Parts: sequence; structure tokens; C-alpha cells
Amino acid sequence: MSKNPLILEIKGNSLDDGPGIRSVVFFKGCPLSCIWCHNPESKKAIVEISFDSNECVGCNTCLKTCPDNALSRENPFFIDRTRCNLCFACVTDCPSGAMEKVGREMTISVLVEKVLKDKPFFDTSQGGVTFSGGEPTLYMLFLAEAAKVLKEKGVHVLIETCGQFRYETFMDLVYPYVDLIYFDIKIMDSRIHKKYCGLSNETILENFKRLYRKFQEGGVEILPRTPLIPDITDTNENLSAIISLFREENVNKTQLMPYHPLWQDKNQKIGIKPPSNSGNKMGEWMEGDRVKICKKLYTDAGILME
Amino acid sequence: MNINLLNPLTHLALWMMALQFNLRPSLKKQMKSHDGWTNFSIGLRTASGSVKQAIVFLNGRVTVLNDIPGNADAIMHFVDDSVLKEVVKITPNEMLNLVLKNKIILYGNMGYLQAFNYYTSLLMGGIHQRMLNRAKKQDKNSRKKEFDLNKLQLSTELFERKTYRMKGKKEDPGVKHLNDPYLPQYGLEDFPRIKKLHEKHFAAISEISSERPVLLTEWYRKNGFEQDQVGKPWVPELRQAHAFKYLMENKKAVIRPDTLLAGTCTPEEEGVLIYPDTTGTMIWGELNSIEKRILCPSRITKKTAAELHDIFPFWAKRTTREWIREKYHYPLCQKIDERAVASFNFKIVSMSHTVPDLPRFVQEGTNQILDEIQERMKHIDGKATDKINTLHAMTICLAGLNTYAANLADQAGKLAETEKNPKRKAELEKLREICRHVPAKPARTLDEAVNSAWICWIGLLMENNNVSLSPGRLDQLFQPFFESDLKKITGEQEKKEYIENAIELISCFFMANAEHYNLVPDVANYLFGGSQSETAITVGGVTPDGKDAVNDMTYIFLKVTEMLSLNDPNMNARFKLGVNSDTYLKRLCEVNFITVATPSMHCDDTVIESFRQNADKMEDLRDWAATGCVEITLSGKHMSHTGATSINMVAGLEMAMNNGYHPLMDWHMGPKTGCPEKGDFETFEDFFTAFAAQQKFIIENTTRLNNMAGEAYAYLRPTPLLSTAIRGAIDNALDVTKGGAHYNTSGSFNIGLSDVVDSLMVIKKLVYDEKKITFTDLKKAIDTDFDHDPALHSMVMKKVPRFGSGSDEAVEMANRVTSLIHDSYKSIKNFRGGDYTVGFWSVAQHVAYGSLSGALPSGRKAYKPFAPGATPHPSASNSFLDNMRDVARLNPRNMDNNIAFNVKLVPSAKDTREKTVDTMYSYVKSYFEQGGMQIQFNMVNSTVLKDAMANPEKYRNLLVRISGYNAYFVHLNREMQLELIERTEYGL
Repeated sequence: MSKNPLILEIKGNSLDDGPGIRSVVFFKGCPLSCIWCHNPESKKAIVEISFDSNECVGCNTCLKTCPDNALSRENPFFIDRTRCNLCFACVTDCPSGAMEKVGREMTISVLVEKVLKDKPFFDTSQGGVTFSGGEPTLYMLFLAEAAKVLKEKGVHVLIETCGQFRYETFMDLVYPYVDLIYFDIKIMDSRIHKKYCGLSNETILENFKRLYRKFQEGGVEILPRTPLIPDITDTNENLSAIISLFREENVNKTQLMPYHPLWQDKNQKIGIKPPSNSGNKMGEWMEGDRVKICKKLYTDAGILME
Repeated sequence: MNINLLNPLTHLALWMMALQFNLRPSLKKQMKSHDGWTNFSIGLRTASGSVKQAIVFLNGRVTVLNDIPGNADAIMHFVDDSVLKEVVKITPNEMLNLVLKNKIILYGNMGYLQAFNYYTSLLMGGIHQRMLNRAKKQDKNSRKKEFDLNKLQLSTELFERKTYRMKGKKEDPGVKHLNDPYLPQYGLEDFPRIKKLHEKHFAAISEISSERPVLLTEWYRKNGFEQDQVGKPWVPELRQAHAFKYLMENKKAVIRPDTLLAGTCTPEEEGVLIYPDTTGTMIWGELNSIEKRILCPSRITKKTAAELHDIFPFWAKRTTREWIREKYHYPLCQKIDERAVASFNFKIVSMSHTVPDLPRFVQEGTNQILDEIQERMKHIDGKATDKINTLHAMTICLAGLNTYAANLADQAGKLAETEKNPKRKAELEKLREICRHVPAKPARTLDEAVNSAWICWIGLLMENNNVSLSPGRLDQLFQPFFESDLKKITGEQEKKEYIENAIELISCFFMANAEHYNLVPDVANYLFGGSQSETAITVGGVTPDGKDAVNDMTYIFLKVTEMLSLNDPNMNARFKLGVNSDTYLKRLCEVNFITVATPSMHCDDTVIESFRQNADKMEDLRDWAATGCVEITLSGKHMSHTGATSINMVAGLEMAMNNGYHPLMDWHMGPKTGCPEKGDFETFEDFFTAFAAQQKFIIENTTRLNNMAGEAYAYLRPTPLLSTAIRGAIDNALDVTKGGAHYNTSGSFNIGLSDVVDSLMVIKKLVYDEKKITFTDLKKAIDTDFDHDPALHSMVMKKVPRFGSGSDEAVEMANRVTSLIHDSYKSIKNFRGGDYTVGFWSVAQHVAYGSLSGALPSGRKAYKPFAPGATPHPSASNSFLDNMRDVARLNPRNMDNNIAFNVKLVPSAKDTREKTVDTMYSYVKSYFEQGGMQIQFNMVNSTVLKDAMANPEKYRNLLVRISGYNAYFVHLNREMQLELIERTEYGL
């Protein structure tokens, strides 16, 4: 793994990824491969190329530029990724920004500089930086160093993680520089977890329990979060299992993230066919009533909603 | 139609008009006023020369000539034959649009052109009426069809914002008596009398008032204007003073039911004030149609229309505009200005963008000012008659003001006698006593102080146009009265009632102010739609000695602002970093959220930093107040005419790309600075030099005209009453129109900043630095509106960093442009010997100028609106923080007439009020900390605005911020409405 990881983007002025006004650093690459992933372009830890047909003005400059003959208007994805050698000549020449390089290496100092420019806004809003992805813990050393530098500059550091990491490494390197952890608990049944997320969930649940106990002993605050995916994570069975876990661990606060379908266009751009088992419900916003019912399961169990 | 026939047909049409006027007594009568026959001639011609006709009105006879006499008063020039043909088929407002689009060019006396329009309306009125009705219906239907979303909950969300009220902390040292400064216990429903006034106001439609111009004209007709009755030239100050006194003595003393304030600007309940020496005659042509026009109609009675038609001939040559035309032989600068493409001078319209010394009137009283003037006169050498006359004129005006107050006292007494309701009777009796005391003597209570301020305000508006005259820091003025009143009160209940009374009083002040309207000729609806008087009130900030100025009255003004959500007064709030509290700033944000668009917020530190170049005393700088839209005036000692003149910076850019030629104006007016196609610009610096030369040319011309207008005021309308209210004038015994004030500046506002900066960036980066395209190719694409080169269009849109994207280079370019504009103005003095100040806000002219400008290197398509004020272009960045950071990095030195930074924020429905307000607060505070000067939010999303386009009746008081001022959305013209909808929207 290269020393400098790939960053998808740094999104400023986020109001939904932790307290206050935040800059969200999206890492590229994730050990899981959840089929509903809302950032499909962040799954692979390699540079990719994307094509946005909405931005394309049809000038065909790229068709002339491409040395590999990988582009064709006949191809529904436009780019034949088996031919493309990722030279990005088309990206350089594209006047409209329809062709884009996805993921770029970034040094710590560049990342820190980009985040720090919004520091005045963090300061007045008790905001800060959120490391997200992809999975930030895929790059422990880099993450630790970036978090350290930013924390030293007085920036509040939040990490959004899928929980699939080596506990000891995390504790040694990253934990000292983190102010808040958002930890995803998706599916309790390990078999189903593996089916939809690519890996079983033992490490995740173990990591969660250990971190939560640390928190209760005065360590870093940790908030478990569950994406509500229709018929996958939002089943009564799964939610009840999560609630049982929370009871065992004395978790009294969580966050539910209702499903939305806005991510599906992103697949097309990076050349992925829509997941075969995405039923009708995956194409729609989750209904408010369904969200209410899910929330009620938690509140009835005395667990608060963030 | 055969071209050869057009000339005889035009002749025939005019001949038929002449025939009617010559034969029909009812029409013949219209050609006569108390001054005798109205004589003038109008020429009509086409650019090709195919048509050349004139119509002459002389001593009650109308004739038509097959030529245009050299002394024709005005000429209508049609740029091509088709335009002339079209004119026959269209409504008056469509004709105005042809004028604005420079398809018809008007030369000469605008008053007589309006008279000609009026005569035409006598013949065509019925037909135009039917056409207008049809157009109105079509407009309504198309809005429904295009924009109706049929969502009932949209309009209710906005109005429900008022029902939740945040609690505040008692934190500000100046807040002495309000336990919770946010006053969450009160809403409009708790003040039934104000609610009634408010409802009445929104249900009403304005009405043209003839009282002011008729009384003044009466006096001038009797006593002469240029010369007095014995033929001696009038001293302008004395003439104005006597006429003013006559007006105040004879003006109807009105006290409206339900209000706690005595006096009104007009006898009509919602009256439009007319100033015939500036803009009044501009509605001559509309006297028969203003009631039925599509945008912002006004009522007008037959009597009023007849009165105005009778007095306008007296004024046809006595306006600022015509005085300049006559005296300076129709100078080039006026010809440029009257095309309204490259620049537009507002001094011709009004000179009263300033903040008078109301505190002096209220605290000392007019009698004491009279004493001071008398004392000053004693020390003037008897030979200095100019000075004696000037001071004498001031005393006449103050006497007139006192008489008006006495008349109000009598009226209050009369009303009290017949009043049945004992509570109201007591109020009227109290008003009688108040008016017997103020403004002559110092106010002793808040009731007296607010009434004194209001009566003086009426006086000032009777003298000065109700355009941007601003009362300034009223929270500072009223707080001492509030405190001293409360010292006399001990019981909790009495204290509570007193505070409620204070809220009512200020509400009455707001409502009384909202009941006078400025005159909006239809052309102004299209140029500056929805703009009202722009009575800027300023709250907060620091005292002259630098202490926290936020006080109880600050919060009472904010409460009233929240409850009434009026477009006028235009509320401005100052915030001093490190001094003013977060509680206060959060309250400003909450009021902005609830009202959707007000107040506008200013950072004291940056404003003072910018204005230091114009004033050396820190205590004067600390006493600044917003004027009109957002501009800076040093309260009570500064004749600032902050809205003197505007330029379209894009016009200079277009001229730089066309060797001094302006394509839409079809006029080679600027210096010849080279053609990109001929390779005249070897480097970017070469091009920038050309750009600078064109900007300087426009600035030189607009300031030249502005200085002529300054001279016109000194002769036509010196302002002796205003002179008593601006420090320096009494000491110098010199009217403020002539430079009597302590500080003398004229303000410019310069439009199209982001469009110009982004365009220069495209030229610099793509043509010169990266050499990706040639200037010739870029120019070709611009000339064809990018129609044939979508790839180039997207390249200029996407591949060059813009102002507002966080690019150092773009910010540097912006500062280079503002510096150029600033330095160009600063090399010129105004008529009063003062400097020009430089602002980057746009009223509504970013839409109007945009509609008169071709495609730009930035990728902005032809005729589209510019980005407003100093706001970055919507495409600059996805992050609003980048926008704020870049605007905060603009060099304040170059913006001493302030900026307008407009942001459309869309609150998330799921957020609590507290979270929404906290986020707004963070934005504003951080922006200020980074050097930001001014910011204003529109807290509404495009969906709601679209619904308001389709269902205006549900959104009568939906307030929006344009660029520096507030307007009711439903009053705006369609282009402005669409511009607001298309503005970038940032989620919250």
C-alpha cells in the first residue's frame, strides 16, 4: 500500500457529518463491499476514471485523444475499462469536466492545508474534520499523522468507520488523536453480513464492544450508526439484534440513516452495473413511516436518537 | 410594408393625431395649463433615414412636418424600420422595453416626450387598456402554467416561522430592562392596533399624491422660480425655504386612526410622493394608465391626474436633467447616461442618500437650532449676503416645520373633542400636548422623542426625495428616553406595559414610514423593480467612544422588524468583533431567518477600516450608519450622497474587446484601445491596459455628469432644512448641496464584479498563460453567444478558477479590478469638493445591465443577469465557505461605499430553530473574522419562489433581498424573479 493514500475529495461546509460545520475527507478504498454503498467510487483503493453523461457537451475531443481506442458512444458506459490504460489524456483534454480522474494521492501537508482553510468556521460552530470514505482506517499511519497534526492545530477530529480494522494498531496510532468516532453497525447475522458486505462481522462487533467499553471508562466518545437499507438492515430481526447488543453494552444513543437512492447514478459513471438484487425499494427514498417504526423500536428500548 | 410607404404612413398617423387635437375641444383643452399653452415639438426618425417626421404643438395648434426642425424639443430615434412598425401594435410598457433595449433611442427633453405619451394615451388609452388587460391575464396564466406546484404547505412554512420564538440571554451590558432581549413573549397578535395597521397596509395599493407638488407649484407660480415678482433673480436657498414653509403651513395635518404618531407624508393613506424637479414628470405619460399597468400599479384619481397634468408644463424645463441639457448643451456624458447601458446617474433622480442629525432635532429641539443660527448670523459680516441668506433660509424652514407641528397639535385637539372612545381620546389629548412641545423643544419622553423624530422626518421628506434618506442609528437615539422613562416606573406590571408601549411606538414608526412610497415610473419597474424608499435604519455596533452600543431599543427594533417583515425601513445591523455579543448576533440571524431577508449585517471592523481614508476622527467613524441600501455615512455630519452614480463594468470590458465600440449601443464612444482579432494585445497586461482605459472613460463621464447634477441641485433645489441637520452647514453658512457639510463625498456603485473578474481570468489563463485558445477564437465565440462552440463554452466555464472558488489568483484579480475602479474615482473630485467613494453593490441593476450586455469570456450568455453586488457567480464553487472566504479577502480599501454579498440559504426542514440559527451565526461570525464586510441572506428556496410566481396572492409579504435592498417578491419584474430563483442555493 502506498504511503500516501488516495483521496476522493475533501468536502467543505458539511452540516451532516458530525457536530458543527465540518470538512469531510473521503478516503478511497474499503475492506467491505456493501451492495448499497452510497459512495461506490470509494470502494476500490485504486485510481479510476469516470464519465458523466450529464456534463458531456458531445464535442468528441476525447475520442480523438484516447490512444487506446477505449471510448465509444455505442458503449452505454462510454469507457471500455478493459482497454483503458488510465493515461487520463482524455481527462486533460475534456473541456467540460465530464471525464474525471477518481482518486488522487495527497500528502499530509496538502490535506492539512485544505482542511485548515475552513478552521475559522470550525471554531465558531464547534465543528472540525471528519475522516470518512471509503474506510479511513485502511491507511492507519497516514490517518494517525493527519489526525495528530490537525488535533494539534485545535481541530476537532471525527472518524467515520465501518469497524473492520486491527484494534491494536488503531489504538496505538489513531485513537489518541480522535475526539469522536462514528461506528457503523450494519448487520448482526454474520452470514448475512458476509452476503451483503463481503466480509463476516466478528472483527467489527468485537472492535465495537472494546471501543464502547473504553468510552465508558472515560475514553473517546463513540456513536454506533445503522444505515436503514430496505429488507436488508431494516428488518425487525436485525434491528432487534442490534438493540440486544446495545442493551448488553449499555449503549444509550444511536443514529439511524434512512436509505436514499441518490447514489445509483454514481455506479454508471464508474462503469458498474446496478446490483442485481436491488429491488424496487432500492430505487426509492425510504418512507417516513417506515423510518418512524424503526426509530420506535429503539426508543421503546430506551435508546435515544442522535 | 414597403419602406417607401413608411414615411407617409407615419405622417398620416401624426396628422390624424393633430386633427383630433385641433378639432376636439376636450383634447384642445389638454394643451393648456395655468402657464398658458404647452408648446413643444417631437421628431420621429429611423436610423436608415426612411422616416423623418415631426409633430409641433404651438399655441393650441398641432401641425405635422415632413422634416425635423433643428430646435425640436425631443426626438425618437428608431434603430430600424421594423421597430417603428412594432410601436403601433404594443403596450406602453413594451415600448419602454424597446427604449431600455436601445431599440428606440430618445434624445432631448424627457418631460415633453412624456407629454407626447400623455397626449397619445388620450387617443389610444382605451386600446392600450384592453391590450394591457390581455397581457396581464396572459402573464398570470403563464405563471400558473409554468410555475404552479400546487403545494399548499409551501406558503405556510414561511409564515409558521413566526410562531416559534427562541429565548435569549441577558448578556449585553447596554440591555438594562429587558429580561429576555429576544422578547419571545410577543408576536404581532399581541398588538391588535398594529396588526390592524399592518393588515390594512398589505391590503392597500398606493395612490399618487398631488399635495406636495401642487402646493409648491402654487407658490412658485405666484412668486416666481428664476426671478421673484419684481424680476430680481431669486437666491435659490431663500426661494426653496419660502416654498417649503408655504408647503408646511398648508399641508393637511393628518392623524390616522390607531396610530400613536402625529403626521403623515401625504393626505392619502398610502401616498406616492412626487418631486417634479427631479423625477415627477416621468409619469406624465402614465397619468391615464398607471392604475392599470402590470407591475406595481398605483391608484390615481381624475382630480390628481388633472392637477399633475396642469403643473407638469411648469416643470418640463426645470428638472435636474433638463437644466444640465440646457446649460451644458446636451453633453456627451448625458447622452451616454440616457442610454442606461454603460452608466446610470442617480443624482438626477435624488441627492438625499444621507443620514441627517435627527438626534439633534430630538434632543435639542428646533428652537435651540434657531437660536444657534441667529447667533451665527450675528458674527457674519453684513456684506457676506450669501451666508446671511443661507442661514436665513434655514430659519424659514425651521419655522415652517414648527408651524406644521402646531397644526398637528390643533388637529389632535379637534379629534379628541369628538372622540367617543375614552382611551383613544386620552391618546389624542396626549398627542396634542406632544405636538405643542416637539420638535420645537427638547423631547422629554420616548413618546415625545419618537413623535419629534417622525415630524422632522416628514419635514425632511417634504424637502428631499424619499429615496434613501435614512434615519440612521435610532436605537442609540431612543435608548436614553427609554431608560429615563423607566426610572420613573417601579411596579412590574407598569414596566411591562411601558415596554409594550415602546414596541407599539416603534411599530407605528415603521408603519407610518411604510405608508409613503417613492414614485416608480414604469421604466423603473424594469430597471430597479420593487425598490422602495430605502429608509435605512441601523442598529448595534459601538458608540462613538468605542463601547458596546447594543441596548434595549436595539432588541425592540429587532422585535418590530420580526413582527412586521416590511420591505421598508431597510434594516441594517452593525457587529463589532470582540465587543458585541454572540447573543446579539444570533438574534440578528434569527430575525433574518424569520423575515426571510432582513436585516443586512455589517462588520464594524471592516467598514471602519474601509472608510478611514475619508475621515480622520475615530469617533466619527464609529458613528457610521447605513444609508439607502448598505452604504456608509458618518451620522449627522456627512453629505454622503452614497448612491450618486452607477457604472456597468461589463460595458467597459465589452468596449475593451471591441476597440471602444459598444455592440448593443452600436456606438463607438470609448477610446480606441485595440482589437483582439488584429493581435493588438500581445500580453494580458496589454489587454488589461485597454480594459482600464475604457473603465476610466466611463467613470470620467459618469462623474462629469454627476458633478453637473450637483451644480443643478445647488441652483434648482438647495436644501436649507437638511442643512440644519448636517453638521458643518450652519458653521460654514453654506447649504449642504454646495459643500456646507463637515464631510462631503459622493458614492458610486459598480456592477458586474464577478462577471468581469471571471472574464479577465479566462482571458489571462486560457489565452495568455496556458495558450489553450486564441483571443480571436474566443472573441468569435463571444460574438455568436457561444452558439457554435459548446466545447469552448464549457472550457471557459469549468477550466478556469473563478472568484469565489478559493483561488488566490482570482481573488488577486478581483482586488486588481476593485483597485482600478477605486483609484479611477479617487482621482476625481465631486461638485462639493469631496471625494468619490466606491461600492460594489447593484440594487437591481445586475439584472437590468445584464439584459443590455452581450456574452462574456466568462461564459455568461448574452442578456443574462450578472452576479449581484460582490457575490461570486453561482458556478464558482460548491462550497459556500469558498464564496465567503474569497469575498472576505476583497481589499476593504477599495470598497469605501460598501458591498452587497447575497447568499441564498435553504434551511433544512429537519433542523431545529436553534441549529439553523447556530449555523447562520457561525457563517457570519467566521466571515467577519476573516475580514468580511457585509452579508445578507435570503432564507428561502427556489421551490417557494416558484410557487410565489404562480400564486402571488399567497405571498404578498414575502420579503427578498435583492442587492442591498429588500423587496416584496411579488412586486418584482419577471426577469428579477427568475434571477432570484436561479441564484445558487446552499443547504443548511
